[in-house]
Amino acid sequence: MDIKSAERFMEKLVKAGKEYGFEECEASYASESSMSIDILDGEVSSYESSATSTLSFRGLKNGQMGYCSTNILEDSSIDYLLKSTMENCEVLNDEDPQFIYCDEKNKDLYFSQVTDAYSKNTYKSFSELGLKIEKAILDADPRIDAVDYLSVACSTGPYLIINSKGLHSYRDSDGISIVVSARATDEDGSVKSGDHFWIGKDIDEFDLDKFMDVFSEKLLGKMGARSCRSSNCSVVFKAEAFQQFFMAFFGNFTATPMQRGLSLLADREGETIASSVFTLKEEPMYEKALTKIPFDDEGVLTSAKAIIDKGVFATALYDLKSAYKAGRESTGNGFRGGSSVSEMPTNLIVEAGDKSFDELLEEAGEGIILTDLSGLHAGVNSISGDFSLLCEGYLIENGKKGRPVEQITVAGNFYDVIKSIKSVGNDIINLPSGEGEFFTPSVLVSSLAISGDEE
Amino acid sequence: MFNDSDCLRILEQAMSTTADFAEVFQEVTESKSVSLLNGQVIRAATGFDSGTGIRLLAGTNSVYVYSSDNDIEVLLKLAKEAASAIKGVSKGSIEALKELCSTTKATVEIDPMSVAKTDMVDFLRKSSDYALSYDPIITQAASSIASSVRTVRIINTRGVNAEDTTKRTRLSIEIIATKENEKQSGRVAPGTMKGYEFINDYPVIDKTRECCDTAIRMVNAGYAPSAKMPVILGNAFGGVIFHEACGHALEATAVGIRNSYFTDMLGRQIASSIVSARDNATIEGEWGSYATDDEGNTSSDLLLIENGILKNYLVDELGSRRMNCAPTGCSRRQNYSYAPTSRMSNTYICNGETDPKDIIANTEYGLYATQMGGGSVDTSTGDFNFAVNEAFLIRDGKIAEPVRGATLIGKGQEILKNIDMVGNDLELSAGVCGSISGGVPVTVGQPTIRVSSILVGGRE
Repeated sequence: MDIKSAERFMEKLVKAGKEYGFEECEASYASESSMSIDILDGEVSSYESSATSTLSFRGLKNGQMGYCSTNILEDSSIDYLLKSTMENCEVLNDEDPQFIYCDEKNKDLYFSQVTDAYSKNTYKSFSELGLKIEKAILDADPRIDAVDYLSVACSTGPYLIINSKGLHSYRDSDGISIVVSARATDEDGSVKSGDHFWIGKDIDEFDLDKFMDVFSEKLLGKMGARSCRSSNCSVVFKAEAFQQFFMAFFGNFTATPMQRGLSLLADREGETIASSVFTLKEEPMYEKALTKIPFDDEGVLTSAKAIIDKGVFATALYDLKSAYKAGRESTGNGFRGGSSVSEMPTNLIVEAGDKSFDELLEEAGEGIILTDLSGLHAGVNSISGDFSLLCEGYLIENGKKGRPVEQITVAGNFYDVIKSIKSVGNDIINLPSGEGEFFTPSVLVSSLAISGDEE
Repeated sequence: MFNDSDCLRILEQAMSTTADFAEVFQEVTESKSVSLLNGQVIRAATGFDSGTGIRLLAGTNSVYVYSSDNDIEVLLKLAKEAASAIKGVSKGSIEALKELCSTTKATVEIDPMSVAKTDMVDFLRKSSDYALSYDPIITQAASSIASSVRTVRIINTRGVNAEDTTKRTRLSIEIIATKENEKQSGRVAPGTMKGYEFINDYPVIDKTRECCDTAIRMVNAGYAPSAKMPVILGNAFGGVIFHEACGHALEATAVGIRNSYFTDMLGRQIASSIVSARDNATIEGEWGSYATDDEGNTSSDLLLIENGILKNYLVDELGSRRMNCAPTGCSRRQNYSYAPTSRMSNTYICNGETDPKDIIANTEYGLYATQMGGGSVDTSTGDFNFAVNEAFLIRDGKIAEPVRGATLIGKGQEILKNIDMVGNDLELSAGVCGSISGGVPVTVGQPTIRVSSILVGGRE
């Protein structure tokens, strides 16, 4: 369905919603077109293409917000949406007020960021590039046996919200991702695997040489890896590992879990919670970000802010509901996920320090570099901050990168880790995260428990 | 759902170039859910989703196109796009459609979709009321019920003409205990393909009390030690280790491209001789069961390992082409937005002969993991990791103090060989397995087992 037809349906639905008895109501429409190719053994093994859309309706009745969604945008769906949503309102008894919102000064919100480069994303361009990448990987080293997964994908789509208070909000985005995973055989016959990815908006900006430099090191650097002795030692989180680690606990910085007693950061805005060398900002319109987000899914304008400012917890992220409960303004972080709105970050940036990665190792002297953490969906207690995770990396010996290590765990507590950050590097990378990206360098942490099975 | 002539038009369009096989997959899913937190109903939602996926194969080359727009003209256009992308050598044929075969796996007494949400709320409230008055240390009680009914129609160029309906319901209870800065939880999340009678019969108070007790024990527990030691894995969800460390490595998704440490191992010893295991999608009413897979094949009860010998892989259509063997009826997908692939259903280690009490009594020192959390595995290297939600140390053959924060790590291919005791208390436990064809309902299971040595990553 084209966006104009969807818009007409939504206007009709919202009007019908008011007549049906909702105090306020809102319709949102998300549509996505995607295309991807997979490469295996010198061929395009798979091609995918899709066009999907979902319409979600929510309505307020007696202060309760019910939700219902469908992908059938026909008049016959209107009754279903209104009736189901009303039934849901009747069963709810949330004590906290909820809002359907429109700022009189910002009734019409529009932000389009799909570029002409998107038209370069074709079966031909993707398959040629995919095959070139596969060849480059297999040619990089005789120990590399196979590229098990290589996907080049793109997607784009509009997101439209219309509500009974007069909000008309449109934004769209697009992106390309390249993901690879390959395996190699070590001298002792054991198998090592490595993966890498690239995200961007213009396929011509993909730099194969740069990609291969990092990927080769990620995979071949593991050759000869074995466990190590258990100890408490300095740890350098490589940027990618730090992003994974930090995001496993990010929910604690959002207001709803705090208000529900599920975050230890509740009522601690203004307190020092991290090392003074650590600053984390949220910049929805960050210049280097692929996706910019000028307004959230509740129609609130977003703004740049520090979340942690030189170690001080500056602000949590709020949506309209949690902000009202806290007696303050929304921070513009209300984003729709399925049948609810919750606080999500846009673009997060860890402020770079002045040390290179090698200088972080020098400062550590002895310890471990963590390059990859596994099991973050399970091996963390996101509330208490405790974690115990399978990881890989390298030893740090005499201030330099030493031999690779595997089959070790790193354990500790998130809140202790952010307090014990000694230095922040300047080797910033970006990874997809939340509604946008996470930009972070590597960081040096003074002490964590490493478990290995060597004597 | 389309009529047969529309389906055939799509197949004809899909086969107009060089595909040797084409399939149309249509799906309609209705869902409803309610969630409570501390007695307040904080979420109630309803959804209706439908869509169509069209898959073409030419040898091992595949093309998948899908849309949530079920308009026949839109789908014919997609089928044409797919046909132009497939890389085969010659035009394939279309066999006449067989008579429609409709299946449903479970006998449902009370249709969960017909149950009023207020009844669901009343049920969940029993759990939260009980938990919140159990002990002042209990600070949060969260619970939810989610039900769905999914109907799929699969037709392909070999004449397959199948329709399958599944109704599933999942209950979740999570209780949190707080002590200073420490919060620990106890949880259960049973799932079923039986009707709402499963919920009505569920011992909700007993199970809530168990969650409360786990949360209280864990919030008072010290950290687990770090060392290699014997580990006793409790029954039911303990089977998640077998699911991750062995099951995924037996899927054609990995074996078919030789990205599994079990490639070329059929007929060989891959586990201790006291280990047998099955993947059984035919168990009546079980959460991970189905009658017809997402390629239209009849589901099966597959022997994976018999007395330590590898007997079967889990094979889908594409995998069967890569591995030159027949599909095993295990092809699944979350919904129409995923091409199907080989997946597990109800996967478990079979009962052994030892009384679980004897397993504990015969262990001088070790870790007894009674409740597992999630984990993951790299099927190419075998590296796995699992979080333990509830554990105790074993000292001198007796259950000693509870410990928290343990993670188990190791190599999948080694752990199977190190199983040295298998209990006789097999149980299954529901979960959702994520892989390249999305999240699908599965159960994991096992009796109590002992692994002679696993590295426990703790903090002490």
